[in-house]
Formats: sequence, structure tokens, C-alpha cells
Amino acid sequence: MLATYGERSPDQIRERIDSLELAWLVHQVEQRYAVSLDLEDEALMRMTSVSGAVEVLTEVFAEQARG
Amino acid sequence: MSNNGWATGAPLSASADWVDDILLRGADRDVCLHFGAPVDRAALRHAVADREAVLTRLGLARGGSVALQLPPSLAYVANLLAAWRIGAQVALLDHRLTPFETERALDRLAPQVLVGHTGTIPGGLRAFYDITDVATARATGRPAETHHSVIQLSSGSTGPSKVIARTAEQLVAEVDRYTRIDGVPLPGERVVLLASVVHVLGLVGGLLYCLHAGTELVLPERLTVDSILKAVAAGEAPTTLLGVPFHTELLASAVEPPKLPQLKRMTTGGELVRAEVSQKFVDRYGIILGNMYGMTEVGVIATDLYGANRPSLMPAPGLAVREQDGQLLVSAPESPYIGLVDPTRWADGWLNTKDAGQVDPETGLITVLGRLDSQVSVGGLKVDLTEVEHTLAALPGVEGAVVIFDRGIEAYAVVPDPDAAAALEGELAKRLAPFKRPRELHIVAQLPRTATGKLVRDHAVLRTAE
Repeated sequence: MLATYGERSPDQIRERIDSLELAWLVHQVEQRYAVSLDLEDEALMRMTSVSGAVEVLTEVFAEQARG
Repeated sequence: MSNNGWATGAPLSASADWVDDILLRGADRDVCLHFGAPVDRAALRHAVADREAVLTRLGLARGGSVALQLPPSLAYVANLLAAWRIGAQVALLDHRLTPFETERALDRLAPQVLVGHTGTIPGGLRAFYDITDVATARATGRPAETHHSVIQLSSGSTGPSKVIARTAEQLVAEVDRYTRIDGVPLPGERVVLLASVVHVLGLVGGLLYCLHAGTELVLPERLTVDSILKAVAAGEAPTTLLGVPFHTELLASAVEPPKLPQLKRMTTGGELVRAEVSQKFVDRYGIILGNMYGMTEVGVIATDLYGANRPSLMPAPGLAVREQDGQLLVSAPESPYIGLVDPTRWADGWLNTKDAGQVDPETGLITVLGRLDSQVSVGGLKVDLTEVEHTLAALPGVEGAVVIFDRGIEAYAVVPDPDAAAALEGELAKRLAPFKRPRELHIVAQLPRTATGKLVRDHAVLRTAE
């Protein structure tokens, strides 16, 4: 999903996510899954790496599935 | 296309009361800013007066010096205008600088007062912050040595950074230039600002221009698509988005954006938006995508606010641009650099932009073709790769380093000691602000060199060195 920004191939994606990529990622997730993430500062601050972002998104989706 | 803005009459000039005359004047109830909540002129003047009292108590006077290290916030605006009202010189330090970089900047600039903030700044894609500012006097500070009103440090290849300085007259002249460009946001309209209010595009093109013109300046809650579009939808007046190409790409990726009849235009500064993204954006939003070219040293240089001359731009009124040996030169009455006497940067009233470009002799339109030095743009912020390379090469255990840019900063370093290699990222984080740090750091056995021994900077060749 990150690769769609700037037309990169998935193997060009680095582990670290900068703030521009984060804005991009949040929007692409919202659009693809038709959800509004409405993340708080704390969650967004954990999303500065690909693994951190996966962790936060997994938690958010688990919570939304429960709720 | 002619450059006739809304302003008529004599150019603005910077009197001793320029902050009041050009920026702060207006009816008390007139909403001029929106940082999470509307701020009217009376509230802004009040916030400025509060900061002025604090700064004056700390001994700041006309000809004094102050450094602001604040994120975009109402406190930043109030301190900036207060210091200018006092007649002090203001150094703007990016709030993301590391303590190491901040220390070095303060040693060099020796401000008498430093305005910082309490606590940590939340992350989370915020466009502005609600902070508590704290001003402290510095015993080692010195009064301003020059008559400039604003000092900015740029990432530089020679030494740690260049000191770029502008006078009140130059800032006012830039505001005046904006008022004379066809297609700028008009008095009574709104600007939703996506660029940082601490750097030249957001500072002069956003904050100072809007305060002068009576155009409401709105900062979205966050720099996300949702938040940006909500900020546009929150007002009825015709609205212009002001940002950098990334913001266009982000907004263009929204498949079905809501109908926003008030959205009039988006204008970006920095490099050109890719043609494909530009088309997608125009299709999705049905508005004009304009483009501006400028630099910290001068501010706005040329514009194409109707997207009619893409990829070319018309020089802004009052500025001359010429081409010499493939490089664009812009008229500048004095050198914008403090402590730098380098004829390859400024000489005889002309500033070397270090941008390759052409000037059409018939139309006067300019076309920017890219950088001639190692400066790159990371989200609209200029980073000199040489600074990153020098910083990396100077770290303990590093025997050689090459830094390149390929959709992000990448570094290749020779570090034989595994412990030193492991500590490298941490060491860099102490010395370089996040936006300057390599996104990828490759430890290699040796760096490829040409037959004559020069380091190779070709991306493909470097990749084979891993």
C-alpha cells in the first residue's frame, strides 16, 4: 500500500515510515477498507515503522470487529 | 498571462511600525487565523502584547536577538510578531532539530533570548500544536550584528549550515509581490495551509500574506485527507489550499472526495507536481492547480497560479530572473548570507539559485530543470546531502560514506567494527533532525570507486556494493 505512493515497487519500501508516508498509509487503509481510523497521537506515533504500523492497525481492526 | 494582482498603488514599505501597519491592523472581530479555533484580530493583538511584555522583561530591545524553536502554533506566531514589534532579530530554528544541532545553532547565532516550549510535542500528523511557550534569557547572547529581521539556517554543504538573513523591507516586499500576482487568494477568502508556517512558503506566502490581505489562514487539525477536506468544508468563503507536491498527491489519491464548492484552487511550492498526479487532482476536484517557485533566500520568485504555463513560470513582479551557463540567477540587491563571501552564491546584485533552468527570451517565462548541487527536497524541506554525508563520515568507526537520494535519503558506509556499525543509527539520530536522516543505511565492505579513485554515486553501482 505504501508502494502506491511515488509509484514504487514493494521491495523499495523501507522499514521506517516518515510522516508523509504515514499520512498516505492512513488514507489508503481508510479508503481500501472503507473505515474511518480516527487515530490518536499515541497510536500515530507508534506507526513510524512498517512493523509498528501493522501492530497498530491490527489492534484497531480487532477493536472495530469487537465493537 | 499578465501578473496583475488585487493590489494597486505604491508598493508597501517597511516603516518602524510595519508589523502593526502591514500585518496586525484590522477590525477587532475580524477572524484572521484558525488554529483549532478562530482567532480574531483582537485576540491576536492580545497574544502578541503578552509575548512582547515577556520578551521585554527579559531585556530584549530594538537591535536585540531572539531564537524561536517552536512548532507551528499560535504561540509561535505571537512570539514572532512580538519580537518584530520590539525591533529584534528573530532566528527561526526548526523544532525537530536534535539537541546537538540546536546547541550548534545557538553557539553560532548567540541569541539573547530563546523561546522554546514545555513538555514533549505530540506526533500524529499534526499541522499545528497547542503548546506552552517558555522564554529564557541567555547570558552568552549578543545583540544582532546585522539589520536583518529574520534568520534561517539552511542545510549546507560547506560547514554545518548557511545562515540566511532577510530584512523587514525584503519580507514586506515579498508580501507586496504576492498582492500583485494574478491568482493569489483574495481579501475575504480563506487559505488552508498544509506547509509549515515556520518555513518560507508557509511563513510569507501563508501567514504574512494572509494577515496583510485579510485572508483567513486555516491550519487543519491533522495533515490527513479527512482533516484537510474538513478544514476546507468548515468555511463558505472561496478557499485555496497551499502546500507542497506531496499534499497534491495525497489529496489526488482520494477516490471520491466530497463536493467542495468553495474550493477554488490548490497552489504548491517546491518541485513540480508530476503530470499524471496533476491531471488526476484536477479531474477529482475540478479546480485549478497552480505552482510556485521560490527559495528561502528570496521567497517567491515565479508563479504559474493558473497552471497555464506548466512546466514554466512567470517571474513575480519586481524580480528579474536570468540564465547564465544553464543556471537561473535572481535579482537580489544584497547577499542574503551572513558571514559567507562566496561569489558563486551572490555577486553584483544577482543570487545564484543553484537551480538549472532556462529563460524564454520572447515571453520571459522560466523553466526550472533541477538542482545543480547536492540539495534535495524532503517533503518540501531542503536537505543538503553533503551535510548528511559529512555528519555520517565524522562518526566514530566510519571509514567512508556516500549519501544519495532515490525517493528518500540513502547512505552507504564502511564501518568494519560491528559495534560501531550497530551504534550508527543512534549516533546519527543525535546529530541530524529526523527529516535529514537516511531512510536506509547500508553497511558495506567497501565503497565503489572510479578508475581515478573518485567515489561512485550511481545508485545501481552502489546497490551492488552491499
